[in-house]
Amino acid sequence: MSGSGKDHIIKSYDDELTRLTGEIVRMGELAVSQLEAALDVVERRDERAAQRVVGNDDAIDQLEQEISHDVVRLLALRAPMAGDLRNVFAALRIAADIERIGDYAANVAKRSIPLSMVAPVGPVGGLEHLAELAANEVREVLHAYRDRDAERAYQVWKDDVVLDEAYTGYFRQLLTYMMEDPRNITPCTHLLFMAKNIERIGDHATNIAENVWFQVTGEPLNKQRSKGDFTSNPEMTKLGE
Amino acid sequence: MTDSALATNPAQAAAASAVAPKLTVRDLHFYYNGFHALKGIAMDIPEKKVTAIIGPSGCGKSTLLRIFNRIYAIYPKLEAKGEITLDGENILDPRYSMNRLRSKVGMVFQKPVPFPMTIFENVAYGIRHHEKLSKADMSDRVEKALRSAALWDEVKDKLKNNALGLSGGQQQRLCIARAIALKPEVLLLDEPTSALDPIATSRIEQLVEELKSEFTIVIVTHNMQQAARVSDLTAFMYMGELIEFDVTEKIFTKPGKKQTEDYITGRFG
Amino acid sequence: MSSLYLRRRITNWLAMGLSTLATLIGLAFLAWILWETLRQGISALHLSLFTKITANGADGGLANAMVGSLIINFIGIAIATPIGVMAGMWLAEYANRTKLGESIRFLNDILLSAPSIVMGLFVYTIIVLPSTAITNGSTTFSGFAGGVALALIALPVIVRTTDEMLRLVPSTLREAALSLGVPQWKLTMQILIRAARSGIITGVLLALARISGETAPLLFTAFGNNYMALNPIDKMSSLPQIIYQYANDPGADLHAMAWAGAFVVTMFVLLLSLASRLLFSRNKVSHD
Repeated sequence: MSGSGKDHIIKSYDDELTRLTGEIVRMGELAVSQLEAALDVVERRDERAAQRVVGNDDAIDQLEQEISHDVVRLLALRAPMAGDLRNVFAALRIAADIERIGDYAANVAKRSIPLSMVAPVGPVGGLEHLAELAANEVREVLHAYRDRDAERAYQVWKDDVVLDEAYTGYFRQLLTYMMEDPRNITPCTHLLFMAKNIERIGDHATNIAENVWFQVTGEPLNKQRSKGDFTSNPEMTKLGE
Repeated sequence: MTDSALATNPAQAAAASAVAPKLTVRDLHFYYNGFHALKGIAMDIPEKKVTAIIGPSGCGKSTLLRIFNRIYAIYPKLEAKGEITLDGENILDPRYSMNRLRSKVGMVFQKPVPFPMTIFENVAYGIRHHEKLSKADMSDRVEKALRSAALWDEVKDKLKNNALGLSGGQQQRLCIARAIALKPEVLLLDEPTSALDPIATSRIEQLVEELKSEFTIVIVTHNMQQAARVSDLTAFMYMGELIEFDVTEKIFTKPGKKQTEDYITGRFG
Repeated sequence: MSSLYLRRRITNWLAMGLSTLATLIGLAFLAWILWETLRQGISALHLSLFTKITANGADGGLANAMVGSLIINFIGIAIATPIGVMAGMWLAEYANRTKLGESIRFLNDILLSAPSIVMGLFVYTIIVLPSTAITNGSTTFSGFAGGVALALIALPVIVRTTDEMLRLVPSTLREAALSLGVPQWKLTMQILIRAARSGIITGVLLALARISGETAPLLFTAFGNNYMALNPIDKMSSLPQIIYQYANDPGADLHAMAWAGAFVVTMFVLLLSLASRLLFSRNKVSHD
């Protein structure tokens, strides 16, 4: 399972740890498909489908509950040590991150409803690009988690800058649209929030990457990383003027 | 054969805890009827810290502990080679007086073994061998030792009773009182709670916590959780070798050696 | 109920029945012996048995034999106990697991099963004959010689029990004492002896029970005396020896006195055994 190739003397302990990993991966895949579904409803402007996506978030919350329960039970009954301890600890934190990712995906779907009430605006396509980047990040980090691959997790962590930059670019684009025509302000504001949600998904993916790194190496992942999101930079607001 | 011992930097753990070593072990070998039981152990045991030694049965952890006060010497055909210094003096040197060593290094065993005497006499017995004290001084000393062992309140009204009438946990604390009554500098605990129930075990663990401000404590235990709970440093031994010796937190969250990880996560076999 | 369980139950009943029967047979013999000695000796069991001496024959009592038995047994135990306990201590504490210790333990076991008459003859040779020669015949057989003979019988019993009892003391007790810096002699004399005390005392009592019934070794050593003798260098009478002598006499009155004497000895031994039992169970040192 973790660091060591050997099995535990107590077989059911291995089974429980394997199950935990399986649950995390399943939860992650569910979150990714929620994100994709959310983007799909944005494009299709389908209110009923959007409601379905929002409703599906419960399944993710349910899985998180199960994982928390399993983690508490493992801690109480198995008293995991060393690699196992990091494994269980990371599972708990990763589950929380995935739960947030699910929330953001549902939020994107939810905002698609008011967005579909107004006439379509140009820059919806950019959102799709952001979502693809985010979904890829989550998928990658899940693979890294499943394979206990610290390097792959680190790569995801590092590459989040691409999403951040794309977000900054999109932000700029939306600003331009809003300045062009005040009627665009409502849909663009929704798009702005949706984009921010997707950008946050990327941040949670990097959190997961940090946890994978810690789980595998026992060290915190605290290398320097360039930031791609400049939207909170005062310079950025000037840009809009 | 000394590879793994050399690989573990003996100074590393002590340095990590930033305390001068009380006991230093260098290239220690032990032979039991010709069987090579300890293979080049090297470690620094820091002063006024709790050092736990863990490892599977037969790994040599108890053997190592029993060399620290040379109690092994009471049996024939056992031989220790190498160097163990206590405050800079080699205790394996035959010129190091046994009396002096044993007044400086106390030991508590797996099973509580009170002497067949009164509770008071159990504690006074060892003191009497090393010092001549007046009756009042002796009473003070015994009371102090019993208080330090967190037993005073339970036995103060029955000091003249036979010690064998105490419960297992009380007997073990009496044995600790007996050992610390000699004002040793090092206290060796050889699986001190393996014969006790969980409550009595917790009392002993709490006691260890309190005693470490005064004594350098080395504890051998089969119970990894116990090592994790009570110790500042943990040494993992396997097949007569010291595999890893480091700060307890590190051993139990991020051990440096695969063998250590396998053992403490229950993957041994 | 399946046949398997039925079979097991039958086997159980059978085993239980047989062992109960065996116990009953053993107890029956004990009761029978007590009953016979009491029945046969009841006519002679009155106060004069304890006050009059054997010189008066059928009109007398066994007082001199009882006193003689007490003195000789006391001498025997007084000699055997210190030597036996020390030897047992040496075997258990100093010579344990050494070749010398093992061979001495083995020799002691042989001594334990040596016929008691050999002890009598041995003491006759080393004490009775030389003392006769030295004192020109004024001191020949003596209570002291009898005591020495009994001591030789009691000695291996005491050595054995002391050795066993000390070896039963857990080694951790030794380690605990030695780890306080206490030297071996203090450990043995002050701690181990205490831990094994009740066992050792039991051993001594068992040895006393064993020697109080001995007749053969006394024939060549204490010899017998129809008058009250208190000085151990005199010939001395003893209960087993008088029982032996009276039982061989044709007189029926003397037979009754022999039975009465046998009853007294049996009761004495029984009480000693009970005493040792009580002692052992009350002061039992539990180190389990």
